[in-house]
Amino acid sequence: MLGRWAHARQGDDTLPLTLQGRRIYILPSAAGIAAAALLFVMLLAGMNYNNSLALLLCFMLCGVTLVSMHQCHGMLAGLTVRRAAADDSYAGELGDLQLLFENAQPRVRGGLLLRCGGCESMAFQLLPGATQLVRLKYQAGARGRQRIGPLELFSSAPLGLFRAWTWLHLPLEAIVYPAPAGARALPDGRGDPRHGERRLRIRGDEEWAGLRPLQESDSPRSVAWKVYARGGPLLVAQYDAPVGVHRLLDFASLPALPLEQRLSQLAQWVLDCERLGDSYQLQLPQATLPVGHGIAQRRACLEALALFHS
Amino acid sequence: MSTRTAASATLLALPTHTVWLVLGGFLGAALLNVQHTALWCLPLALIACAWRARGLRAPLRLPPRSVRIAVALLLTAAVLVSFHTLNGIQAGSSLLVAMATLKLTETSRRRDWLIVLGAALFLLLAACLDGQALWRLPLYAAELWLLCAALYALGAGSDAPATATLLRRSGLSLAAALPFALLLFFFVPRLPGSFWVLPRTHEAFTGLGDEMSPGSISQLTQSGEAALRVRFDAAPPPAAERYWRGPVLHLFDGYTWRRQHGEVARVPRVEFLGQAYSYQITLEPNQHQVLIALELPQVPPPELPNTYETFDYQLIAAAPTDRTTSYRLRSYPQHRSVDALSAAGRRLDLQLPPGRNPRSVELAQSLRARAGSDGDYIDAVLDYLRRGGFTYTLEPPLLNLDSVDDLLFRTREGFCGHYASAFVMLMRAGGVPARVVTGYLGGTWNPYGNYLFITQSDAHAWAEVWLDTRGWVRVDPTAVVAPGRLTEGLDQLLPDAGSEGRGLMSATWIANTILAWQGLNAWWQDEFIGFNFSRQLALLDRLGFKNHDLRIFALLLASGAGVWLALIAWGMRSGSRPPAGDELSRSWRRLERRLRRAAEPRAPSEGTSDYAERVGRARPDLASTVRALARRYARLRYGPAGSAADLEQFRRAVRGLRVDYRAGSTSRTRASSSAPPMKNKPSTRIDKR
Repeated sequence: MLGRWAHARQGDDTLPLTLQGRRIYILPSAAGIAAAALLFVMLLAGMNYNNSLALLLCFMLCGVTLVSMHQCHGMLAGLTVRRAAADDSYAGELGDLQLLFENAQPRVRGGLLLRCGGCESMAFQLLPGATQLVRLKYQAGARGRQRIGPLELFSSAPLGLFRAWTWLHLPLEAIVYPAPAGARALPDGRGDPRHGERRLRIRGDEEWAGLRPLQESDSPRSVAWKVYARGGPLLVAQYDAPVGVHRLLDFASLPALPLEQRLSQLAQWVLDCERLGDSYQLQLPQATLPVGHGIAQRRACLEALALFHS
Repeated sequence: MSTRTAASATLLALPTHTVWLVLGGFLGAALLNVQHTALWCLPLALIACAWRARGLRAPLRLPPRSVRIAVALLLTAAVLVSFHTLNGIQAGSSLLVAMATLKLTETSRRRDWLIVLGAALFLLLAACLDGQALWRLPLYAAELWLLCAALYALGAGSDAPATATLLRRSGLSLAAALPFALLLFFFVPRLPGSFWVLPRTHEAFTGLGDEMSPGSISQLTQSGEAALRVRFDAAPPPAAERYWRGPVLHLFDGYTWRRQHGEVARVPRVEFLGQAYSYQITLEPNQHQVLIALELPQVPPPELPNTYETFDYQLIAAAPTDRTTSYRLRSYPQHRSVDALSAAGRRLDLQLPPGRNPRSVELAQSLRARAGSDGDYIDAVLDYLRRGGFTYTLEPPLLNLDSVDDLLFRTREGFCGHYASAFVMLMRAGGVPARVVTGYLGGTWNPYGNYLFITQSDAHAWAEVWLDTRGWVRVDPTAVVAPGRLTEGLDQLLPDAGSEGRGLMSATWIANTILAWQGLNAWWQDEFIGFNFSRQLALLDRLGFKNHDLRIFALLLASGAGVWLALIAWGMRSGSRPPAGDELSRSWRRLERRLRRAAEPRAPSEGTSDYAERVGRARPDLASTVRALARRYARLRYGPAGSAADLEQFRRAVRGLRVDYRAGSTSRTRASSSAPPMKNKPSTRIDKR
């Protein structure tokens, strides 16, 4: 609510974003209010006795409190947000956010916390000149494109008597996939081994396929050290994965279900196919995606489902 | 998964040195209160802190709630037993130590530690309320620093920096807070009056009292405690006129003299003669209502409302002096009574206990019979004291109940109180109204502070007799017995006594140091501790504000606080410069600053030559210059060691670079709101000098 007001006041932010003083808000924390009460009692005691030393003590503490207010404000002022990115997520789940902060000033910024909705990051601090990648979660809403924000960046350092915060309206967007759900059986695919066809294999990491000589680009982890230990040459273990069957995931094959459940079922099938290692093809009323398999294919299909408009 | 609980859970594990700082701060605060808290307080706090400190190594088993409640009740009862109240500084600070100690046994969260710290701050306040001597000031400052560092440590939670860093940070904050604190100190109106009155502490009366027995003054003179300080507006009165008048004693029972409470007559009028002296007295707390004044004050001090003058010219304050009190007076050592002595006053000052001191009464009657007038009688009695073989001693033998008889006819040894008592008794027995006046005589001149310092050892007693022709006349019988007494305690540094030779006090540097320290203390007491509303008004006068309006205070406070806040903000900004590197880095950063108008600032991951290329793409007009500078920078930085001349040349080239805003430039500048007028023609030049 206040974040929306701040949005109206500040507008959208662009990266890199350096936090200016006028967008940083500051209020006393609960501890700060307790400290104010304590200072007031001290003032009364000093006034009552007209005791100069007690009054000076009280005024010194007032001064320290105000200095800490400035310092608290300074925890955020001048801080730079270099990068911000949001990972895609499934509806109703928590997605990942990453922000890269940079402290160009020679002061330590401590007690920083980032909040998005109900999720908070770990407290972090930035040493002078340091950059820090901060991860936190966001709550994914309904399927579709989701604008993430506002993020709240706050700090109560150095004394915890004040809380300075700012709202970040960063160009953060994530695609929220339909939540995978549904218990319908996967559609049968063409090229099922039961049909006697020869199984295709592609390079993968599931089944052991043999050994080949080491190439410069191979990672040491893939070297077949056992062979080497037996006195053999440096060989690389090769694995591959079976090319499964090719299944057609058709939107039209689920006429009995409401739209969202249909999309959820399709998303579930996409994930099932990936798990089985089968190739698949998604067919939607407006578009048919090419046959494929792997991360890119899964992503393309889930995106298409997320952005589906009937 | 990072959530709020995770964040606050990290606070649970406070670093070891944070705990040490809090415990140390609390112990320090308890220690500063040790003179007025109950005896068991400090050991209790020590044990609790030691137990907590042990918990830093081994896991602690915190006592269950029921035990803590029982202990809380027990400690409260202990305070009640010690002081019979929970109110007042003594009981209050004892209770505070007890409850903070108890808090230590349940401390597991940051909030609990903060409460302990708050209690420590209150204890520091209690110490400030109780003791304001200058030598305590460094202790208070150190304690405040420690508590502040602990506050910073708690604020930083689990990643508190090292103790040295904390001390530095809190020290800087305190230094920044000091101007603000002084501003508030001088300009927050100190409205007189109390909101609540705490029960009187049963402190021993010091100084002159309501009564005088043989020996009471000589006890007093053995203490070197400060009694009062006097600062004269002009030259101080001559030594012989430095009679500081205090309680006047009328009632005699043969042994002890007492004050007359209540008025027996209205204040008789006085005609003031001769030289007037204006001065300010700073009276140390003595728990008495009688204020000390140079004989004879014109009017009661205006600073102390409800102070009144009695029929025997005592100044009576509204309340006992329980803290250092300052007041201004104007006195005339020369004066004359205008009114005749009232019948009640004469009766009071002729009163003698029947049947006591018979030999003295006999002596008085025989002397009076021979004397022609009251004046001759006074001379005769003084002559008797002068020639009667009386000696002046600080340790006189004890006297029996008929003290005057015992002194005059047996011991013949006494102190000012003895002789004043005997003289007044003889006067009354001879029919001359007389009274005993107690106070101080003389004082030590402090040349560093330009004030007269009067200690309890300057306590004195003398007599006043009524002569129908002259009114009340001061007679000091001690001066007759021991003429040296008048000048004995007086310091030879007095401005009007310069040629009489240098006194013992000025002979050694130790004495000088003591005088300087006393002078510093006096300054502290007068200017700082004694700062009050009237001083504030005087300060306003000095600053040129003629109308003393509360609005002036508000205005001064607001403007001062505004300036201070602006300075703090500016200080933080100027403190936000990038860390200084060598000359080459500084020059390069200067170049980057200038190029901000041309392109986005260099990313941390961007190399200098990449940056120069990017700038070149954004501003083709600058391309060759910036590229050349980047190459020179790389050569100076990474190539074979360049000469100082090369470096200087690079520095000058950067200094000479001018980058203008360009109309329609793709660069977004940070300070776009304050951009100077844009020029259409890009211009770049490098001054070659």
